[in-house]
Amino acid sequence: MASEHVAQVVPRSMSIARLPMSLLQVPATMIVFAGVTVLFANSFWLSAATAAVALSLSVVGLAILYGQLGLVSLCQFALVGVGGWVALRVGHAFHPPFEISLLAGGIVASIVGLVFGIPALRLRGLYLALVTLMLAGAFQIVISAWGFPDGGPGFLGRADGSGRAMLPRPDLAQGAVAYFVYVCVAATVGLMIAQWHKLAKPGRAWALIRKGETVAISSGVSVLVFKAWAFALSGFLAGLSGALLADNVGQLDGRAFGAFESLNLFALAIVGGVYNWYGALIAGLLLRALPALLTDLGIDGYVTIGIFGVALFHALATAPAGIAGQIAGIVARVRIRIMGGRAP
Amino acid sequence: MIAIDNLVVQFGGVKPINQLTATLTAPVAGLIGPNGAGKTTLLNVLSGFVRPVQGSVALNGNGLLEMTPLQRVRAGLRRSFQTEQVVEDLTVADNLAAIADHIVPSPQRAEAVDRALAFIGLRPVADKLGQSLNLFQRRLVELGKCVIGKPSLILLDEPAAGLTDEEGGALRELVLRIPTEFSAQVLVIDHDVELIRAMCSETMVLDYGKLLALGPTETVLADPDVRRAYLGEL
Repeated sequence: MASEHVAQVVPRSMSIARLPMSLLQVPATMIVFAGVTVLFANSFWLSAATAAVALSLSVVGLAILYGQLGLVSLCQFALVGVGGWVALRVGHAFHPPFEISLLAGGIVASIVGLVFGIPALRLRGLYLALVTLMLAGAFQIVISAWGFPDGGPGFLGRADGSGRAMLPRPDLAQGAVAYFVYVCVAATVGLMIAQWHKLAKPGRAWALIRKGETVAISSGVSVLVFKAWAFALSGFLAGLSGALLADNVGQLDGRAFGAFESLNLFALAIVGGVYNWYGALIAGLLLRALPALLTDLGIDGYVTIGIFGVALFHALATAPAGIAGQIAGIVARVRIRIMGGRAP
Repeated sequence: MIAIDNLVVQFGGVKPINQLTATLTAPVAGLIGPNGAGKTTLLNVLSGFVRPVQGSVALNGNGLLEMTPLQRVRAGLRRSFQTEQVVEDLTVADNLAAIADHIVPSPQRAEAVDRALAFIGLRPVADKLGQSLNLFQRRLVELGKCVIGKPSLILLDEPAAGLTDEEGGALRELVLRIPTEFSAQVLVIDHDVELIRAMCSETMVLDYGKLLALGPTETVLADPDVRRAYLGEL
C-alpha cells in the first residue's frame, strides 16, 4: 500500500519527460552543420555535401534495422533506387510540386522495403544478409535494363537520345545553396522521425525483439507488427533519400545502383555508427565527401574502397559503435569532468 | 487458480509432460523437480510457447490454451526467464515501459511504470541504463516487469538464481507482497528448496513429467517419494 501512495507523488517517469529534449539535438546539430557547410563550401563541395546528407537518411534506416533489431539488410541502396525511380517517374509524368514526388518515392520504397523484409520474419544473420543481397542483385539487373525515367513516354519514361529532361528542383530551392538547405531540412525531419522511434514505444519494442522473440512476446510485443514497421520505416527513409538524390542533379544513373553499393552502404553505416543518430550523417559524409576530398587532392576516388575496408575492420575489431559511438564516449567523458566526476 | 487437466506434451518420442492433472490455489505456489522433470516445459505451456497434444489448462476458470501467447499476456499472464532479460541500452524505467507500452492504456502508463519502480525499490536508478545494473537489480527489474498492468498469474523461473542469501531474502519478501498488492497468483519454479519452503504455501513436485506430489509445502517436502526423487535421499 505504501508503494501506491508514493506512486502518486511522482506520476511521470523521468525518462519519458526527457524525450523531447534529446530529440532537439538533431535540429541543433543540423543547423550548425548546414551553416558551416554553406559558409565554407564551393559548388563542388556543396553538391557532395547535398548527396551526403541525402544518403544519411538511407543510412539511418539501416541503423534502425541493424542497430535496433540486429537485422542485417544488404538491399538498402536498392530501396534508394526505388525511391529515386518513383520520384523521377511521378515528377516527369505529372509535374507535381517536388514534395509530392518526394513523398511518393518514400511511400513506394516503404512498401517495397516491407516486401523485401518478409524473409526477415523467418531469417536472421547470414541467411537474411544473403537473401537481401540477392534482392539488391535483382534490383541491379532491373534498373540496368530499365534505367531511370528522364521525361520519355510510357511506363518506363525513357527518352532515348533527344528530349531527355531533368527533374526540376523544388520551387523553394532552385539554387545549389538553397537545395542543400532544403535537403538538410528534409533530412532533419527524417532523422527526427527515426530518432523519435528509437526513443519511444517502437524503439523499446525493437530492443525487446533484439533480446529475443520469446522475451518480446512475453512482454506483449507483436513481433510481426514491429518488425514490419521497422522495414517500412527503413524503406521510407531510403526512398526519401533516393528522391532527394535524384533532384540534386535532376537525374540518376542506373549503373550507380549495383548490389555493391548496398554492401558499401551497410559497411559505412557500421563505420559511422548505428547506435547514435549522427552516425548516419558521418556515414553519408564518408560515402560522398571522402571521395570528393580525394578527387580534390588528385587521388583516384576508388582508393576510398580500400580506406573503407580498413575503417570497417577497425570498427568491427575495436569500435563496434563506430565513429559516432567514439564521439559519444568523448562527450560523456567531458561531461563527467565538467560536472565534477559525477557519473551520468 | 490454475487448473491443469490431463496435460500431455510430446516432442517426438519424448513426453516431457505426461498426463499431468493438478490444481494450484495458493497465492504463492511452488514448482520443483529434478532436471528434466518438465518444469520449464510446463511454464512454456502456460505462457503459450509450447503447444500440448492433449489436455486443458484453466486460469481462474478461463481456458488458457485457446489463447495465443500475446492474448495471454494481455489477459494478465506474466513470466520471467531463467536468465534475466534486461535490455542493456534501455534505462530501468524504459525496460518497464517496454511492457507497459503494450498492456497499459497510455494515460496510465507512466503511473504503472512508477508504481512498479516503487515496488521493486529501484526509483533512485530509474534513469540508469540496464548495462550498469548488478544481478540483483536485474532480477528486481524482471520482477518489476511482471507486476506491470493487471497481472493475474506471474510465473517466475528461478527468480533468485545467482543471488546471495540476503538478496534472495529481499526478493522473497517482494514476491510475498504480490498477491495482496497486485491481486495476482504467483508460481515459482526453483531448485532452491529453502526458497520454496520460505515462499510457497503450496508446492507441486514433478518427476519425469508426472505429478509426484502436490499439497502444503511442508507436507510435500517431507514426503518420502519426494525426498527420494528430488533430494537424493535413499
